[in-house]
Amino acid sequence: MGIAVVWSYTVPDANKFQVPGMARIFLWHFPCPMLAVFLLIYAAWCALRISSRVTIKPTFSVQPETDHDQKMLWDLRSVAAMEIGYIFCLLTMATGILFSEVQWGDWWSWDPRQTSFLIVLLIYAAYFALRFAYTDAGKKAAYSGAYALATILPTLFLVFVFPRIPYIKNLSLHPSDSIMKGLITGQYGQCVCYILALFTVLAVYLFKLRMRVGTLETNLEKHDGNLENSGGSPAVTGVVRSVHLP
Amino acid sequence: MNSSWSREIKAVFMKEWQIEMRSQSGLITGLLFSVVTVYAISFATLNAKLPGTVIAGLLWIALLFSGAASLPRIFLAEEEQGTADLLRLVARPHAVFWGKSIFNCLQAVVTGLILSFLYIGFTSKAVSVPWLFTVCIAMGSLSLAGAVTLCGAIAAQAANRSVLSAAIAVPLLLPLVALGVSGLRVALNDGAISDGYVAAVGLTGYAFATLATGPYIFAAVWKT
Repeated sequence: MGIAVVWSYTVPDANKFQVPGMARIFLWHFPCPMLAVFLLIYAAWCALRISSRVTIKPTFSVQPETDHDQKMLWDLRSVAAMEIGYIFCLLTMATGILFSEVQWGDWWSWDPRQTSFLIVLLIYAAYFALRFAYTDAGKKAAYSGAYALATILPTLFLVFVFPRIPYIKNLSLHPSDSIMKGLITGQYGQCVCYILALFTVLAVYLFKLRMRVGTLETNLEKHDGNLENSGGSPAVTGVVRSVHLP
Repeated sequence: MNSSWSREIKAVFMKEWQIEMRSQSGLITGLLFSVVTVYAISFATLNAKLPGTVIAGLLWIALLFSGAASLPRIFLAEEEQGTADLLRLVARPHAVFWGKSIFNCLQAVVTGLILSFLYIGFTSKAVSVPWLFTVCIAMGSLSLAGAVTLCGAIAAQAANRSVLSAAIAVPLLLPLVALGVSGLRVALNDGAISDGYVAAVGLTGYAFATLATGPYIFAAVWKT
């Protein structure tokens, strides 16, 4: 991360921007929506697996014993992807708002890309609102998974189609088609690829961490809060050691 | 589609139709809402002469919130009245979805056309491209009905289901509103006709995509 920060300050200024020196916020902004959308699609894929019979590789020491356990593991993957995707959505908005203030003079410019990504953020928020509304784990998994699937079409439309509609594109201040036109080259291109790789590694790490937390929570519920089995041996998770008080 | 499918879909549709004809609550509520909304918008804008884009935007806001508030009732009422389990037993999920969606589509199109014609009448705004106007309202209403029906089914067993169904439906429908406003503004003589074609195609595609994928997503959760 330190290398990325230093490198982002050493790239030359982007002369085509209003404030060339501050255009480097783009280096941190660009990878975030890509990861956010990828994680949303992955979450929908996991949601699709909830309703199908596919054996997945067990995580840590948890063995999916039943179909229900399988579905709960896919649900855990789906919600983990959505949570981390939401973080990247927020980062996209934050960096975008900074960019908007510096380059366009307003914190919020009602730019079509800004507005469309805000709607993606609202879609993510609606997913979590739906999850909070159900207490039964099975129903929570099924209904939130269905909603994740239903959000794919609107999200892809908002991110990839809406900003390119001719009338909308003419109104937009946001740079578009930078990759397709080969504008991200040289040090800018190398730095943004490095930061994208860095954020991808971070996302995978956070995902695995979230999966671990979710698995431990599931185990805790399964064992009714008992961290030892009846023989006094450590719990299946192997994480918490038994403590014998004098 | 074989005859058993069409029979089931027709049975579900006729159930909804007969309930509606018996009480007429949806029809009367929809008409009343349309008139009140049109009047409220005209009142709030001090009956000013507004450009086509603003009129299109206000009209779509009214359509969006009227649909999001009234259409999910089709599933919420089943859970509240305790008839949902019987429906799960007697009909297949796809037939249930299509029967209810067709009813909601009909209701949405009728409400949309009434509301839009009332609004155009009140604002005295000329419709320069009538076919585009009709396509935008019709396809938009179909998309609205499909998406809101699905969201109603998803939220039907949740806590605070009435508000939740609208809360989860509105973000999904905002892209539809963007397309609808793009098309309607052209129909109201405020934009290039090429933008209208793009919007009409987009709305039609959105309607087909929503109604095509809805039954499969619904079938995955209906018997949960």
